[in-house]
Amino acid sequence: MSQPIPAFWNRRKIIQAGIGASLGIGGAAIAWSQRQSLISPQAAVKVPSTVPMHHGDRNHGSSISPTDMLRDFDRGTVTQENGRTVREFKLVAQSGELQLDKGNKFITWNLNGRVPAPTLRANEGDRIRIVFQNKGGHAHSLHFHGDHPANMDGIKPVRNGQVFIYEFDAKPFGVHLYHCHVAPVTRHIGKGLYGMFIVDPPTPRPLADELVLIMAGYDVNGDDKNELYAFNGIPHYYMHNPIAIQQDQLIRLYVLNMIELDIAATFHLHANLFTVNQTGRSPTVGSYETDVITMGTAERHILEFKYHETGKFMFHPHQDFMAEAGCMGYFDVIANA
Amino acid sequence: MKASTFIGLCLAGVSLSILSACSNSAPTTTTSSAPSSASPASADHAGMSHAKKININNALLSQLDKLEAKLGIPSLSNKIQSSRPYAKSEELVSKNVINQAQFDQIKDMVTIEEIALTGEAKDLDYMVKLGLMKGHMYVAKELLNLGKPDQAEPHIGHPVEEIYADVEDQLKERGVKEFKTSLMALQELVKAGAKDKAKVNAEFDTSMKAIDGAIAVLPEAQRKSPEFVIQVMNGLLDTANSEYGAAIADGKIKEAIEYQDSRGFVAYSNELYKGISSQIAAKSPDTGKKISVALKELTLNWPTPVPPAAPVKPTEEVSKLIKEIETSGQAIK
Repeated sequence: MSQPIPAFWNRRKIIQAGIGASLGIGGAAIAWSQRQSLISPQAAVKVPSTVPMHHGDRNHGSSISPTDMLRDFDRGTVTQENGRTVREFKLVAQSGELQLDKGNKFITWNLNGRVPAPTLRANEGDRIRIVFQNKGGHAHSLHFHGDHPANMDGIKPVRNGQVFIYEFDAKPFGVHLYHCHVAPVTRHIGKGLYGMFIVDPPTPRPLADELVLIMAGYDVNGDDKNELYAFNGIPHYYMHNPIAIQQDQLIRLYVLNMIELDIAATFHLHANLFTVNQTGRSPTVGSYETDVITMGTAERHILEFKYHETGKFMFHPHQDFMAEAGCMGYFDVIANA
Repeated sequence: MKASTFIGLCLAGVSLSILSACSNSAPTTTTSSAPSSASPASADHAGMSHAKKININNALLSQLDKLEAKLGIPSLSNKIQSSRPYAKSEELVSKNVINQAQFDQIKDMVTIEEIALTGEAKDLDYMVKLGLMKGHMYVAKELLNLGKPDQAEPHIGHPVEEIYADVEDQLKERGVKEFKTSLMALQELVKAGAKDKAKVNAEFDTSMKAIDGAIAVLPEAQRKSPEFVIQVMNGLLDTANSEYGAAIADGKIKEAIEYQDSRGFVAYSNELYKGISSQIAAKSPDTGKKISVALKELTLNWPTPVPPAAPVKPTEEVSKLIKEIETSGQAIK
């Protein structure tokens, strides 16, 4: 049976619960509070709460929340082994239903019930250990971008019911991705087996409100063309749930183009310019300013900007058919008190 | 676990695993920089202290039964299986599969490291992969016969795309002539519309014979052993179960590819069962009857190669039947 996508932890609810961990909300909550403490410097960043423009069922009944996904960085279970940091992640491939809009229910192939898959994050040089279990029926694999040995390249299929443990060093720092590499890759990625992999530089980047935006396309009728597009899984989501950000605060977008079946997407931000840090390979700042950046499939960058004006500003690929078919959203710039 | 050790072991690149390497109870000393898939069979017999390690992530139920027997915990094998995956052997305790005292009794028998397959486990792994290929080919042929090369194409693609790379080393090791070229040639013909039917049929037969030839390198006694075959069936039916689930949303069959994949796996499971049913019936009529009935009922869920709009039975019922076959099959020893 296609399992419904399990409820995604609502970050705000857990934070609101405050002492959730000690109240015994559950393992996931405890893991969360540990993760929070690891990024305590970010606590200085103001994250205004998002107010939906329209009330009602804007998730279309799907239980994944693109709002939560924006700032949800999975840093894994951390242990020290032989004097080095090991980050362990568990990723389970399975299938599940995702309501894309009122008219389209899509059968996803996903990791841990999420499309996109969890955003994995580590520091350069950490040891990464991915326990990958395939419960998806088809053979799948996890191919990471970045450096690793050939036997960890994730091109070998892992058949249904099997577990494979990938292990490699997190390097080089930058914005990377991971995805299933079983052919036809277009279908395996298009169904949802992809996620971002962020490797932080040895010297942390300046404090900023950090957000993940992954562009994807959905071929809902199997005609090898995309009918719907989305940021972070659900079409049109951020049009109805604008991303609240603080006026004059540095925003760091980690943007990935994971659209299959179209050559490229040109990310555009309204009423502003951003600096482009290509593949996040500069430890400090971007190399140039623009308000449009064309990205081929799997291309990804760090884009940084601040808004001085308040109000709602759109972002979308400037292939406008993609925008109008779901890959479009608003930032809602909240005034400083 | 040392990182370097892990890499060394992973070079074996296999999934279902029993360690038969010389076990001096310290796996961290088996660092190797060379592909270790060929762990010497002779190590099996090297001495009393040599325990076969069981990979708790990938071992078959029949292998996990050794742990069940050692600890005397009913249905422990199933519990270990359902709590997968494990990042460390110790997670058997942290996931409440067994307690610390029980773990201490078996900790030298278990591992999560990739280790070379040997014996029956290796044969099973090989046979399941080839069985999946057969299933894909069965349904592909049906669709070709219906004049639907566009629908047949993914099923001719799957053996190459999903399986071949995973079984290639074993084919070489067992002296099977490569047949990827033939599978790919067939795929190209079908992609191009399967216009020359005679040519497609000839290429199809070549590929099918190659797969049958690969299966035939397994000893006949193995291929006709009910215990062996039923485990192969479990592997195929588990996969059929997941794919069937991935075909259905909102009570409708939305993805023909996954429906057809699962149809092929069930079809080949039926063929496999035919070869062992009389043996099972003779040995244990009750078990034989249970499996036959469940398998027959299961097969009704794939009435045609092109899927019906609505599933015959809900996915839960299909899962239940598959579980029934698996459970009944565990009685065959």
